[in-house]
Amino acid sequence: MLEEVLEHLVRGIVDNPDDVQVEYVDNRRGQRLEVRVHPDDLGRVIGRNGRTAKALRTVISGVGGSGVRVDVIDVDRVGSDHGDRGDRGPRR
Amino acid sequence: MSESENPDITADDAPADTAVELDEPAELDADANDTDEDDNEDTSGGLLVREGDIAADYLERLLDIVDYDGDIDLDVENDRAVVAIVGSDLLALVGADGSTLEALQELTRLAVQQKTGNRSRLMLDISNFRAQRRTDLQDLAASTAASVLADKEPARLAPMNPFERKVVHDAIGAIAGVRSESEGEEPNRRVLVLLDD
Repeated sequence: MLEEVLEHLVRGIVDNPDDVQVEYVDNRRGQRLEVRVHPDDLGRVIGRNGRTAKALRTVISGVGGSGVRVDVIDVDRVGSDHGDRGDRGPRR
Repeated sequence: MSESENPDITADDAPADTAVELDEPAELDADANDTDEDDNEDTSGGLLVREGDIAADYLERLLDIVDYDGDIDLDVENDRAVVAIVGSDLLALVGADGSTLEALQELTRLAVQQKTGNRSRLMLDISNFRAQRRTDLQDLAASTAASVLADKEPARLAPMNPFERKVVHDAIGAIAGVRSESEGEEPNRRVLVLLDD
């Protein structure tokens, strides 16, 4: 259910809703929801000073996901072997 | 509007002929009116109604997924779309001190902005939490103003979110002899009530 909530909330606020993927992961590091979006939408989902990501976490906690982490995954960086990381600037 | 004018003008004419002649001008008028109204709608009430509709879709789907029963009421107040979710068991969506409500309002505004391209000032309420909070804050503003007037000393209120501060500023603004300011940075920004010189 939590995956579905998060997917719905994120799909509504991005330019590329069909690229939104949410995965529930439960391992020894704890429970978390991993969100992947189109690279152009990353800023949308994180928001200024992480505001939007924080709002997503708050709602997920509210509807039964307290203790479940919400991680926004930068698809462009994870698993990319390009040597172009330098020009992206610091992450928020 | 134009539909009610045209029949009057041609009321004495033979119906069969005028019906055909009327069709075109009437349609042209209707088209012209439509574009005018659209322009108005984009700048005023229509846009706010649309904001409410988009927000309702977003929130209704959320209620479906979490399987909560709630009715969504839409309104426009003071140039804002107002969306209220009413239901018996929605406290989870309000959260401690309304934190979940604030988060949901933030996301709903973004969802609206995503569709309209305009920043939204939409106000979300759930189970009358804001309405109750507003009443409490108005009471607080009144009692604080009374003590400031009596003690001739400024009073500093607890940190509040922007909605709460606005309610207090509005309430203080309506009381003679006192004024209010905000000080500090979020999330510790608070209202200061002072004597009005």
